[in-house]
Amino acid sequence: MAELSFILNGSRVRYDGSAADRLLDALRNEYHCTSVKCGCGEGECGACAVLIDGVLHNSCCVAVGAVQDAQVVTLEGYRETARFQALDRAFAELSAVQCGFCTPGILLAAEALLSRSPHPDEAEIREGLSGNLCRCTGYNAIVNAVKRAAEEGDGLW
Amino acid sequence: MDTISQSVVRKDHGDKVSGRSLYTGDYAPEGMLFGKLLRAELARARVLRVHVPALPEGYYYVDAKDIPGDNNVNMVLDDSPVFCRETVEYIGEAIAMLCGPDEETVGRLLSACRVDYEKLEPVIRLDEAHESFFDYTYSQGDTEKAFAEADKIYDEQFETGYQEHAYLETQAMTAEPEADGRMFVHGSLQCVYYVRNALQRVLGCGPEGVHVMQDVTGGAFGGKEDYPSVLGCQVAVAALKCGKPVRCVFDRREDMACSPKRHPSRCRYRVSVKDGRVTAMDVDIRFNAGAYSTLSAVVLQRGMISAPGVYQIPNTRIRGRAMKTNTVPCGAFRGFGAPQTFFAVEMMMDHIARDLGVDALTFKQAHLSRQGDITSTGGRYHFPVPLPDMIRETEALCDYRRKKEEYQKPQTGRFRRGIGMSLQFHGGGFTGSGEQDIIKAVVRLRKERDGTVEILAASGEIGQGVRTTFSKIVAQELGLPLERIIFEYPDTALVPDSGPTVASRSIMVVGELLRRAAVKLRERWADGEVQEVEERYRAPDFMIPFTIDHFAGDAYATYSWAVMTAEVEVDTLTGMIRVLDACGSFDVGTPIDRNIVMGQMEGGFLQGIGYASCEKIASDGTGRIRGASFSDYLIPTAMDVPQLRCMLHVESYPDGPYGAKAAGELPLVGAPAAFLEAVEQALGGVSLSHVPFTAEDAFSVLMKGGEG
Amino acid sequence: MVNGYVPASLQEALEIRAGQDVIPYAGGTDLMVKRRPDAQYLFIGRLPELRQITEDENYIHIGAAVTFTEALADPRVPALMKAAVSRIGAPAIRNAGTFGGNVGNASAKADSVPVEVAADAKLRLISLRGERVVEIESFYHGHGTHDLGPDELIAEILLPRTGLDHWYYEKVGGRSALAISRISFASVFDMQEDRITKAAAAFGAVSDTVLRFRDLEAMLIGRSVAEAKDMKPAYLRAYDERLQLTEGRVSAQYRKRVCLNLLEDSLRTFGI
Repeated sequence: MAELSFILNGSRVRYDGSAADRLLDALRNEYHCTSVKCGCGEGECGACAVLIDGVLHNSCCVAVGAVQDAQVVTLEGYRETARFQALDRAFAELSAVQCGFCTPGILLAAEALLSRSPHPDEAEIREGLSGNLCRCTGYNAIVNAVKRAAEEGDGLW
Repeated sequence: MDTISQSVVRKDHGDKVSGRSLYTGDYAPEGMLFGKLLRAELARARVLRVHVPALPEGYYYVDAKDIPGDNNVNMVLDDSPVFCRETVEYIGEAIAMLCGPDEETVGRLLSACRVDYEKLEPVIRLDEAHESFFDYTYSQGDTEKAFAEADKIYDEQFETGYQEHAYLETQAMTAEPEADGRMFVHGSLQCVYYVRNALQRVLGCGPEGVHVMQDVTGGAFGGKEDYPSVLGCQVAVAALKCGKPVRCVFDRREDMACSPKRHPSRCRYRVSVKDGRVTAMDVDIRFNAGAYSTLSAVVLQRGMISAPGVYQIPNTRIRGRAMKTNTVPCGAFRGFGAPQTFFAVEMMMDHIARDLGVDALTFKQAHLSRQGDITSTGGRYHFPVPLPDMIRETEALCDYRRKKEEYQKPQTGRFRRGIGMSLQFHGGGFTGSGEQDIIKAVVRLRKERDGTVEILAASGEIGQGVRTTFSKIVAQELGLPLERIIFEYPDTALVPDSGPTVASRSIMVVGELLRRAAVKLRERWADGEVQEVEERYRAPDFMIPFTIDHFAGDAYATYSWAVMTAEVEVDTLTGMIRVLDACGSFDVGTPIDRNIVMGQMEGGFLQGIGYASCEKIASDGTGRIRGASFSDYLIPTAMDVPQLRCMLHVESYPDGPYGAKAAGELPLVGAPAAFLEAVEQALGGVSLSHVPFTAEDAFSVLMKGGEG
Repeated sequence: MVNGYVPASLQEALEIRAGQDVIPYAGGTDLMVKRRPDAQYLFIGRLPELRQITEDENYIHIGAAVTFTEALADPRVPALMKAAVSRIGAPAIRNAGTFGGNVGNASAKADSVPVEVAADAKLRLISLRGERVVEIESFYHGHGTHDLGPDELIAEILLPRTGLDHWYYEKVGGRSALAISRISFASVFDMQEDRITKAAAAFGAVSDTVLRFRDLEAMLIGRSVAEAKDMKPAYLRAYDERLQLTEGRVSAQYRKRVCLNLLEDSLRTFGI
């Protein structure tokens, strides 16, 4: 049986544990991607969201075996991109980060949304972030920041 | 806008937005033991024996016998244990902790533990509770006379449910024995000194034996005010026994089932009306405190003081009790007792107005307190009460009067609308003489040779922006760029006790101390020297001394004010309630950073709407919380209140930094009443009396033909 | 690889399924919540054979590993199905959740299933022994159990290509997104030559399985709109008697009244 491996933030990594392990735990414990947070462990909060082949997934609901040979991107990889910088700037200007625990998942949800729809309206943004719970902000600042990033980062997505 | 109000990039932005911030569970686990708690399965029972499986090398079982000091977590009364005493008093109470290097093995060992209990009769429901932890009464005027002379007496009961903080990061604490024998405890928490004081007692050591640091904290809202003292003591006792660092991070279900919540309440209001005016209120407040008293005394006090709302009621009699039940202890939560009574008094005023056939807002306006009026405790509203202006601003923003009239007409379609408005205040800082007699806050500023200035204060960044706002205050006063001001996560070994991060006191109280310290430093500034200045709290001169025995005097130096509206639409086929618009005007004095303050207003408002609508905790008859998970306990998503509009009305406060007042808690307080008044109208003018008010509740009103 | 198989082809997947005690894993959203660390998963989520949407003369074939997000983007997927799956969870859940998983999890709260039941969908089940096509309704035995053999996989869902133009769908959840259904309701209506040929109503999340009552539907079949209107009170009464619902996060009584309201409202939208 082939060994279990996938591409994490651009580099191929091998996983020696069980294929049934949660991707969330593998990312945090094996590869020290601690930007990936566990908020509930049931797919109900989005704090552990990552991109798998460019698509948003809750890593608590993904078994490692399911990402065999796939591209997995966490904030550790995404933060090196120009798109991240556009989001970073907008989130900074609008103070859209409070406690910060939901932020990594929110940013990847925003990336997933903008890569599909580079000029979303407010309703689309709210929909795109609807799986990411934030208990601090009331969401306005986050929604406005995603909108601003889309405007000022025009052409990046 | 004042310069200080202009928004800056938050000090914590860079690390958080890039995912580099390390929260308690993010520290590398090498050399660390994982702790998991063995929890009671019965609501009340004597623990006869715990059968612990054979533990592999390196695994430990820790319980009350391992506590070197006193098995009491410092709070108001001495009743919360670190690990249970002879009995357990609620489902989920900690009996012991299992620790070991492999988390899964610890989990397996834990599930192999068996506890023999002798079952005792529990008290589960508030209405069957007979033992009160606290029972206070205060009064003003002559309530009996007013009732005797009344045209009409109204008598209603209001209920509120639990609210779970649902901070995104669960409770998490680590204890690490240090080489010099000190115990170092760090974690997700609001109040480093609360934890330190608790540890000293439990470990039986002096202040030199322990130090406590706050880690980056993923939300708190009051939920990490008292509870980290419990968990901090548990991991510290374990670390002491194991001689190794021990970390305990709750999973979501454990957190929801076992950590404190907002007190469920039942308030009975008897109100006399004469000549169209309220002449007296006789209020009986009961809070469900749960199994241990924790902070219930002070939560109850604030609730009681807020009981007459923003109104001038000449005669009042307020009784408040915190009742013991064998359920999870309740504790601090944004608003701290006030949301419960503000909800009740606002609904009561609404119902009386409807009965009198007058517009609720007009009726409320006729009773508003003004500057110079006496407060519920015989203190004074020393400063302007801007509610009339704020009402006008809010009305204009959401077109309140027109909509209220429009929705008053009979509605017949599938979807029916309503709009509601609530008025409230929040008193800044600790109740009464707490700041002066109990907290006695101290702050320091330390200037390095290179001219950077470090803030030495115990206030914790919990998302509310305090690292930024404090830095802004000091930078402004010293005329320094913000980068030159340093404010790290507090460690009791390094910072003085400026008090806990609670009660919306950080900016108004601690921020002002820092401003004064900065003035002092500016005056003594000497280039190239290390300098340190200190500032200590003193109560403003104008305050009327407060005594808690009589609830008399100024309970708060000043008040923040809010006017909030909600517009809803009810689906008559399903009962589902949509919030179409939520508007608020908030006076928190001068905003120290507009974005940060708006973030507090919007976040608090949405939490309040959740409290009133979708956030429901059910417990079964045995005292077990059902559905303790994010799929059952539903907090608002980005789609639930798509239109949430907040504005600031600035009535600056001379004793706050640059005019700032209390901010954090205010926006939650009035949301439930605004929401439910709107639902009342949408359902055809019924009288409703409880939150959370769900689709099923709305539906049952519709089925009964519109009788609340 | 420990505790898992990633087959390269459907054939290989069927061989593993026949020879090993494995749990088919498509999207993982349900399985990982009920996580069993010792589970042996057969990862079928990326098998091309199970990820297609195709059409033939009578049916739209939705592969078992097609995700809800993919279906929402496909013009061939009927609007009724899109109405249901667009309300599932949130983007990350729709990106992972699959049609086969929704069926295979055998929960009455699965949001695509009431649509399949109302639409008379079929399932194609495959194994090394061959394949069989079963009616979706007959696939379920009760809460959490179904007719999938230990060597079988769900290959695809077959939705009729025609007759789904007149539909009605409502979901009652606890909030606007990220909500597990407390009640879901799907109905499909069709007429030919002024006679009702189909009046299917399926109720999800209110009992152990999705409910549909063909004998009650028969009260309307073959009738004109005018006749159906006359029949309506008796029809609703019959449902009132028949709907025996379970208590959950909401009461059985609430569920029942809402189901009846939605049933009545669906008739109204169909002109009855």
